[in-house]
Parts: sequence; C-alpha cells; structure tokens
Amino acid sequence: MFNPHKLARLSPSRLSSLNGQCIRRLQSTVPSSGEAEPPPAGGHLPSIATSAFLRPTRDSALRLPGLRWIDNEIPGSISSSKEGAGDIAGRETRKMNMYQAVRDAMSIALMKDDTAVIFGEDVAFGGVFRCTMGLAEEFGRERVFNTPLTEQGIAGFGIGLASMGQTAIAEIQFADYIFPAFDQIVNEAAKHRFRSGGQFGVGSLTIRCPTMSVGHGGLYHSQSPEGFFMGAAGLKVVIPRSPIQAKGLLLASIRDPNPVIFMEPKILYRSSVEQVPIDDYELPLGKAETLIKGSDLTVLTWGTPIYHCESAIHMLSSPPSSLAHHIPASLRSAKIELIDLRTILPWDVETITESVKRTGRLVIVHEASRTAGVGAEISAEIQKRCFLKLNAPVRRVTGWDTPVPMQYEKFYIPDSLRILDAIVDTLQY
Amino acid sequence: MFRIFRTNLQVQTLRRGVATSSIQTNPQLPSHSYGHLPTSQSPITSTLHFFNSVMPDGKQIPTYRVLNGDGQVLDGAELPEIDEALARKMYEQMVQLPIIDNLLYNVQRQGKISFYMTAHGEEATLIGSAAALNNSDEVLGQYREMGVLLWRGFGYDSVMAQCFGNYEDTSSKGKQMPVHFGSRKYHFHPISSPLATQIPQAAGVGYAIKRDPLRRGKNCAVVYFGEGAASEGDFHAGMLLASTVPSPTLFIARNNGFAISTPASEQYHGDGIAARGPGYGIDTVRVDGNDVLAVLSAVREARRRCLEQGRAVLVEAMTYRVGHHSTSDDSFAYRPRQEVEDRKRIDNPIARYKKFLESRGWWNESEEEELKDRIKKEVMKAFRRGENLRRPELKEMFSDVYGGEEPWNLKEQREELKALLKKYGGDWEPWKKELKKFKGEGKEFIE
Repeated sequence: MFNPHKLARLSPSRLSSLNGQCIRRLQSTVPSSGEAEPPPAGGHLPSIATSAFLRPTRDSALRLPGLRWIDNEIPGSISSSKEGAGDIAGRETRKMNMYQAVRDAMSIALMKDDTAVIFGEDVAFGGVFRCTMGLAEEFGRERVFNTPLTEQGIAGFGIGLASMGQTAIAEIQFADYIFPAFDQIVNEAAKHRFRSGGQFGVGSLTIRCPTMSVGHGGLYHSQSPEGFFMGAAGLKVVIPRSPIQAKGLLLASIRDPNPVIFMEPKILYRSSVEQVPIDDYELPLGKAETLIKGSDLTVLTWGTPIYHCESAIHMLSSPPSSLAHHIPASLRSAKIELIDLRTILPWDVETITESVKRTGRLVIVHEASRTAGVGAEISAEIQKRCFLKLNAPVRRVTGWDTPVPMQYEKFYIPDSLRILDAIVDTLQY
Repeated sequence: MFRIFRTNLQVQTLRRGVATSSIQTNPQLPSHSYGHLPTSQSPITSTLHFFNSVMPDGKQIPTYRVLNGDGQVLDGAELPEIDEALARKMYEQMVQLPIIDNLLYNVQRQGKISFYMTAHGEEATLIGSAAALNNSDEVLGQYREMGVLLWRGFGYDSVMAQCFGNYEDTSSKGKQMPVHFGSRKYHFHPISSPLATQIPQAAGVGYAIKRDPLRRGKNCAVVYFGEGAASEGDFHAGMLLASTVPSPTLFIARNNGFAISTPASEQYHGDGIAARGPGYGIDTVRVDGNDVLAVLSAVREARRRCLEQGRAVLVEAMTYRVGHHSTSDDSFAYRPRQEVEDRKRIDNPIARYKKFLESRGWWNESEEEELKDRIKKEVMKAFRRGENLRRPELKEMFSDVYGGEEPWNLKEQREELKALLKKYGGDWEPWKKELKKFKGEGKEFIE
C-alpha cells in the first residue's frame, strides 16, 4: 500500500539509489489478445504495415542506431549504460504496437523509480488509447491514478510533484485538450528552473498526449499543437514515429533533466508494429534520425507524415501509371534524403544543416497549419545557415491555415501526393 | 493607508467586542456585541468549529423528486402545472431519443458516420429542462443535448445532415464531428469538444441578455455540462463570473455518474456539484434527473429566479449514463454489465413517466405502438435522405475562418489546392474517389 511517509523520508541519495535499481523484466506486459478492447478510435493507416522504417525482426530492432542500453544488474549500483548496439547477446524483443511500447516504457519507469507516478483522465482503467493498461493493477492505484477532468490541474500537480524531485508522468487525453494547461506548461514548467536561479526545477515532469490526425477528428481531435510550444524555452517537445522509438524516447524524456511534452501520433498506436527490445533503453533527445540517405533533396518531418513521405519518395522513383506523366523521367533517379526530426524542441539544427548543405533543397512536412508552424522556424534558420548552398526555396507542405475541417480532412492533411508534388517542384526549381 | 486603518479597526473590534454595520465609507466605532470583520458580515463565535457541509445538519443535500420509481406522485409533492398536450409532447420527445440513438449508434458501427454519442438514461433531464425553458433562451450545451434542440423543432433531417456532414448541415458545414450541433435559429450555441469551455461563455451570454432591453427579464442563458466537466477550471470561472458580475445564467449539471471511465466518486470528494453553488452565492437545487416532472418543476423555478433576480441559478440533475460514453468507448471495461442493466430498470425515466401518464388516462398501449412506429419511420426516412446527400462543396473548407476580407494566406492556399486538384484530380485515384463525395465533385476548383 501507499505510504506517504515512506516517500517523504526518502533522502536525495536514497532517491538516486532507487533510480539506479534495476529489475530485469521477465513477465509479459502485453495484454492477451483475447481481451475486449474499444474500437480503434485512433483509426488505421494502411500504408504503415509495409513501411521499411519499421523493424519487424529481433536483429534489426536490437541494431537500432543510437540505442543506449540502461543496464544495472546489481541493485543499488550506479546505473551503467552501453552506447550502440554492439552487445546484443541475451537481449530479447517482443512484438508490440505503439501503445504497448509506451506502456512498456512506463512500466519500466515505475519499476525502477519508486517516486514515479502516472496520472491523468481515465488512466486507471487503461486509458482511452490503452497506454496504461494493467499498470494500476500492477503498481497500485497510489501510483497510477485517475484525476478529475482538469488539464491545468494535471499539469500543475505534475509540476508540484516534479519540483519535489519525484517523477511525474502525466497524460493529457488528447493534444487538442492541452490548452487549459498552457499556462502551467509555458509559464510554470518551462520557466521553473530559470525563475528560481537553478534552485528548483521540474525536469522529472513528462506530459504525454496523443496527437495528429486520424482522418475524421475535425477541429478538436486532429490537431498537431507542437508549434505552440516552440517558443517555450526550458521545455522539450518530442514526437516518436514507431513503437521502438516511442519506448526509447519516452524513457529518455522521463529521465531528462527538463520537462518534456511527449506527443504520440494516435494513428500509430495500433497501426505501427515492431519487435521492441524488452530491456531498458533510451534514444537520444535533440537528435534527428536520417531514415534514407540522399544527395538531391532533404525531406524533413516527424510523426505520422513520415510514412506519407516514404510513399511519396517511392512514388517519385516508380510512379503509378496514372501519375507517370507528371513525373519527368529525369527526376526519377533523384536521391531523396528523409529525416525524422523526433525532437521538435530543441531541434537538431546540426543534422538538418549538414543535410541541406549537401542536398541544396529542403521540403518540410507537418500536419499543423502553415503560418507560424514548426516549419516556419526551421525554414528561417536553415535559409540563414545554408543560403549560398540552396538551389530552391525551402518548401513547406502543411495543413492549411484553417481549423481542421472534418469532412475535408483528406484534402487538408498533407498526403503522399502533395508531398510528391512539392518534391518534384523543388527539384525542378 | 486604508489597509492599515482596517487592521487597526480589526484589532480594536476584537478588543472591545463590538462592531459597526459598515466600514465602507465613514467608519464608525463597532457597536455589535460580537465584533465585526473588515470584509465580511460573518458573525463572531468563540467556539472552534470546522464544517464540511452546506447543510446545517451535515447531511447530504437532498434530491427533489415528484414521482416515485413507479410513476406515482410522492406524498406531499406538488405536480408542476402541466396539461395533457404538454405531458404528451414531453413523452413523445423522450421516446424519440433512444430510437434515434439506437439507429445512429448502429450506423456508426457500420462505418457510415465517424462517431456518435447517445443520451440513454438522460431523457428526462434533457426533455424536462427543455420543456421548462423558453425556446428563445440561449442554450450552451456540452454535447449530449440533442434532445433540447429537437424539442425546439430542429428536426430529424437537420440531425442527420449534421451527423453525416452533408451539404444540408447548417451546424458547421461538415466541419465538426457528429453530434456537434449548433443553430442560431434555435438559440443553440455551437458545440465544442473541449470540455467546460461553454460554461464561462454562458455567463457572458447571460450578461448580454441582461444588457439587451428587448430580452432583459424575458430570457436567460442556459448552460449544460456533465459532472466531469465541472472539474475543469472553466466551470469555476463561469460560476464565479455569473454570480460576481450578476447575470441570468442557468447552470444545469447533468450528473450521470461517469466521465468516460471515471466515476463521479473520483471526480469530486464533496457533495456533488450542488454543494458548490452556495460557495458562489448561487441559488441551488438538486433534482432527480430521471424524474421528468421534478426536472420540469425545478428548472422552471430556477429560470423564474434567474429572470426575476437577474442572477445565476444552479440545478444538479442526478441521472445515470446508461450508454457508453461514445462510440469510441466500451464501458464494460470499467463498470459491470449488471449495474447498467439494473439502472436501465430502476427509475427508468421513460417507463416511470409513462406510468404516470397512464394513471392520468393520458396514454395507452395502442398509442405507444403507433408513436414508436411513426417515429421510427420518420427517423429512417431522414436517415436515408441524409445518408445519400453529398458533402458540402469542397471550397467550403476555406470558408468561415475570417469574416470580412479574407487574408492573403487563405486566398493563396485555396489557389494552391486548386492547382493541385487541376493537375492531379483526374489522375490520382484516392483523390478521384474522395472528390465524388463532395457536392459538385470539386468542380468549382477544377474548372
């Protein structure tokens, strides 16, 4: 049972030794397939199943670039980590979709860190997207609990917990509903360290929220609000593209010394499936990942559109017959580089600059509307840094500057054809 | 200066044990035998007493009821003024709700609409309150208040147009998810998915009514919300504003026991939503939300107070969400099936009211059959029609963002889409297929 005195008594050194405690996970955290589940409110994205970016085998999963194992076999010992995927002997993976991988990350966080708690609307029964399924049963309702419906309260409560050095993993049910918490996040969480001269900080706060469109969410279930946080210095914003990425980036976010908004593209919860390492590992924040190497044009994106970009790049080299006459033969052999930004704030300016200096062309794709979207900030910086190397203006493929209109979403959200058109246009500039 | 003075006064009063009636302008020496606090009329006591209830006896706030579970009038209960015509209309309006809900719920399951929310179990709260209001009172709903709109004459075709998002959808021209109704004509403000945002807006609507010489004293603002939404900061902001900047704003809490999976017991620790009313100095009543006559009475009286005093009133209607939260939810993941089955039976708002009508000789079984047949036919007709109408014209995607002159970025983006559709609209199968769903098939863009 929960003992508030126990936590209150924990000294900082005791807390850090708890953090270092490791228990190898053996039991399954994946729900049995027979369990009744709500219909997929996240929808399905058919093209994802065949994506080359998903790692369907143990070997490919374990050899993920940038993966850092967080191992500490002896309880109480200092946490050790191994860079790279050199040592994969004895490592196991399990097939998971993204909500299961998110759940797996949180399960590890709860197991290794006695101060960690998870809270939000409807999380106790498993969450509306099933990301906390079984965690309340496994770790107790004192550590995994429902909150009343109050996003500002959830964020503020998390800030309070984190300011006391404990680990707060909060869930906002939809990114569209994060705005009541905007004051707490932007004025409080982001500025907490700064305004206390470094005495206080809320680095152990992570706010998870499902984001982006599923095709029929309209104004309030399809938004991509990452851009609103772009100016909130002190905050990090992370968006994963797949189960392996979600687990590693979430664990890194939870342990990062800064408050992190972790946005999970909700269409990927069920539609993206990978073999996910069952051990504790992290993927680096602030580091983009180059998914396809190229030399003629850089496509930069994050979250769901990665898969549309993959299709677009494929269509460029081998267009379907109905589109063939739109794609000049001379462009079909163009080498397109595709980068997953992963961390939106602070973004990996080095990787993008290096890439654009090589390719001379940049297309940025995001679902949020264009004006003052994340693409605007990146365009400005890249045009400054790469001005003499650019062969074409930086191009943005985005949602239009309207709220997300439900019945029109297929012509609102950038799809593979719009991306393809922008690539062709930019190559021909 | 003033602050220091007040502090001195307080010290003085405490010492002398006397108080004045007012210190606002020309402070006088305290004359009350118990003393006086600078910003309160609170009597002084020498007993250290904590309290945690708005009721003097520490009990829960009682629930007002007219009919018992069997549809019989409770001893001592006063029936609201109701004649046969109104009584029958209320019944018919209640009966239609589950018929529409069952159809649209199943239609969603077949993938014909993207989403739906039923009002199963809350028929009495919706129709009883709708009947108590003036049809020109301004309603700000949460999302489960279709019954109020139907009471006002919105019609099945309009419901279907909104849920299918076809070109007859005047609620939002196909831009919002199903059940996000809105109608200027019927004084029903557009539904927004974010919870509780409508609550402080209602205080503003109420204030606007108060300032309008043609509507002052004749109309009020009426805001519906769930007990879950009442946890949002916006609830407190709305109650505070409507009481502090007085306005005729009628707050109707639909306490249906669940906010998606979260039971009311995890939503608040106090005595429901009603306990908060007195905290804001607002007249408050708790009513059995499954007793349509009690709701009718309570909301009528609440409305009368709103208009007469120009002040806010709070009604907490106690009911039970028999249906799942929405089509995205399976409530048996967090509540026992039996509990729901029991609740369907116990105090069923429709069955209970029907018994009352029958006891008055205002309803009988053959009328019941006839009514249900008629409603089903009408609903099916509207459904078939709505299902087969296309979406609005594609160009509507860019409409209604701004009033007045459209900014350059929207103009350019419309042109950008136009160029794309011209170029690929005839060649790219996914777009060809999608364009067929729109009225005019996007020709206004392509030609």
